[in-house]
Amino acid sequence: MMPLSMVSSGEVVEVVAIRAGWGLQRRLAEMGLNPGVQIRVMNSQRPGPVVIDVRGSRLALGQGVAHKIMVINEGGGHTCQHKKR
Amino acid sequence: MPAQEEVNSVSGEEQAADKRGHKRDPRSYDRHGHPRKELTIALAGNPNSGKTTVFNNLTGARQHVGNWPGVTVEKKEGSLRYANYDIKVVDLPGVYSLTAYSLDEVIARDFVVDENPDVVVNIVDASNLERNLYLAVQLLEMGAPLIIALNMMDVAESRRYRIDVDALAREIGAPVVSMVATRNQGTQELLQTVMEVVKGNIKVTGLRLQYGREVEEELAKLEEVISSNSLSKKYPARWLAVKLLEEDEEIIRKFMELQVG
Amino acid sequence: MDRDQILRVKDESLAHLRKVYGDEAETVIADARYGFISGLIKDVLKKPAIDRLTISDRIDKVVLNRWLGIPIFLAILYGMFQFTFVASGPLMDWIDKFFGWLAGFVEGISPAWLGSLVADGIIGGVGSVLVFVPVIFLLYIALSIIEDSGYLARAAFVMDRLMHKIGLHGRSFVPLMLGFGCNVPAIMATRTIENPKDRLVTILVNPLMSCGARLPIYALFAAAFFTAYQGLVVFSMYAIGITLAIIMAWIFRSRLVKGESGHFVMELPPYRLPTIVGVLTHMWERGRVFLVRAGTIIFGVVIFIWLLDYVGVLEPIGRAIAPIFSPAGFGQWQVAVTLVFGILAKEVVVGTFGTLFAVEGGALGDIITTQLGWTPLVAYAFMAMCLIYVPCMATIAVVKRETNSWKWTGFLIGYTLVLGWLVATLIYQIGSLFA
Repeated sequence: MMPLSMVSSGEVVEVVAIRAGWGLQRRLAEMGLNPGVQIRVMNSQRPGPVVIDVRGSRLALGQGVAHKIMVINEGGGHTCQHKKR
Repeated sequence: MPAQEEVNSVSGEEQAADKRGHKRDPRSYDRHGHPRKELTIALAGNPNSGKTTVFNNLTGARQHVGNWPGVTVEKKEGSLRYANYDIKVVDLPGVYSLTAYSLDEVIARDFVVDENPDVVVNIVDASNLERNLYLAVQLLEMGAPLIIALNMMDVAESRRYRIDVDALAREIGAPVVSMVATRNQGTQELLQTVMEVVKGNIKVTGLRLQYGREVEEELAKLEEVISSNSLSKKYPARWLAVKLLEEDEEIIRKFMELQVG
Repeated sequence: MDRDQILRVKDESLAHLRKVYGDEAETVIADARYGFISGLIKDVLKKPAIDRLTISDRIDKVVLNRWLGIPIFLAILYGMFQFTFVASGPLMDWIDKFFGWLAGFVEGISPAWLGSLVADGIIGGVGSVLVFVPVIFLLYIALSIIEDSGYLARAAFVMDRLMHKIGLHGRSFVPLMLGFGCNVPAIMATRTIENPKDRLVTILVNPLMSCGARLPIYALFAAAFFTAYQGLVVFSMYAIGITLAIIMAWIFRSRLVKGESGHFVMELPPYRLPTIVGVLTHMWERGRVFLVRAGTIIFGVVIFIWLLDYVGVLEPIGRAIAPIFSPAGFGQWQVAVTLVFGILAKEVVVGTFGTLFAVEGGALGDIITTQLGWTPLVAYAFMAMCLIYVPCMATIAVVKRETNSWKWTGFLIGYTLVLGWLVATLIYQIGSLFA
């Protein structure tokens, strides 16, 4: 499991958790982004905002928001870059 | 019956009739002398779903922009004549959901519940079906007389999406009309469907989602205490129960404002 | 059943569900809705095995590229201005000639005061503003194209990183960009910004994004004093505005309106080919306001000023205020009067000059040079003053309405006044060292 902000362009991942307050969670849920949904990273300005494909629409997310969305790769493995903290 | 709005949306001639009381606007009657009937359509949908284009297709130049009473949010209204009806079209603010957390959503929701439009047309972006249906589902849970206008079918087609419109209508419990609003395609079909719904030939069955056993049990408990409350005369009891579990601020406030007993 | 009982049952239910699901009931309910929709979608929608990249996505691969994004945006911005000026040139000349002819035609009317009122006051005043109709409408066309095509959302994305550095985020960018047309709808567009602090700062710096009404001022003086470089000079005004907006936003956000920044979440609609009807409609919606203002406020103010001038009261008023502006190089009474009335509507600045000097268009530039003794440096300082100082009445009214605060509205008026004076003075003083 890793934050969306670490996922590279073109990857398809599944959302597992959103570590944010109610306001943001609700906002994201409205746009179709909630745990269980599969998303694809379309463009990334890492470090910076990212554009994802969620349920067919394109959503731009700021870096801070992307940090709070926890995702896993298909099959649970990681193909994106890990940074040792 | 369409509610009277306090907004300054009345056209010149109608104003003259109101002021003088007895003067009849000759155009409110057809050539046989029968009064034209009136109905109100509300347009709801996500931002970027093409709602404005549909609104323009329906009302043409007969539009008026004002404010929703008491707030600074823009209210767009228009009118048209179709099949002997004077139809008022109200463009609700573009929203993704019907919670109580933004003024736009409260306005949209309140209009559907308080003003009782004869038909609510939900403009749905066909190329974005999943996300757009989130709003449709909530409207149907409210018991709104819904028609789904499946717009941007050209975009969906260009992405090689295939949508089974009949299956959609069946499973969601509301009529579905395909449209490409930017080419003014589907507008006539939409109006015909509005007529069918208004006349009762097409039924909107509404949705009763199952939320899982535990939630359903709590809903049943709440529904029982709510159903003898005065609010349940205005809103479906189950919908009120769901809103309470969602801790909807507006609904809670409405309950708090009630007299005890 | 009474309401307290209902609310009690609700709380009990919520507590129970929290225990059972380990989550708020709201979340469970939302999940159930999406679950239903997912099931529905499986039955109803067939997508191709590999969702091809749409044309929009392919365009975005370039437009949203981390290196190309901002340069592309700047290029589009520059293109917007170039198009506006080049295309409007011939039209402006034509209108200019028309009003010149009209004024000459009308001058002969008696009584003399009426002739003066109509020729100098009205035609000179309103005419000099109407000359710029082509420029403004073309600018609105360009803005409409940018908005309708869907590119505006991309611009907001591309600018997000930069916005982040000053404490805002991409969402604040859309209203700022719209400010190039008119600050009034731009400030109303800040409603989409949820965080109140972000919203306040966006509102406060919005007037620094040079609006359409100020364009005639730049165009007039740039043509008169910088003929060879007029395009560049006008562009520099916009650039100064943007730079100041960024600086002031950073200052406000870090010192004055501190607090957590909002979250950047924004939908990117697919690109659309703007329809001619759509673009013209939007252009007309915005441009109409300009024309209406020309017909009403400007018309009224211009007559009022003509009257004050005719009666001999205008000059003393101007002379009383003028000294404030001498450090900036334009301490003349006509200028003082112009700036004061410019608060009503920015277009009035050009209109007032037109009335006071009884000419409009090209001739105005020459007159200002000879009668006021202006150098290009003074003109530039003056343009900067107009860019920054107090926004027009309509904008002030909208700011009060949207912020619901006299305090912040007053602050806006105050800081823009001071900042405008400071920048104009600095330009003149420092520039004089090199002259």
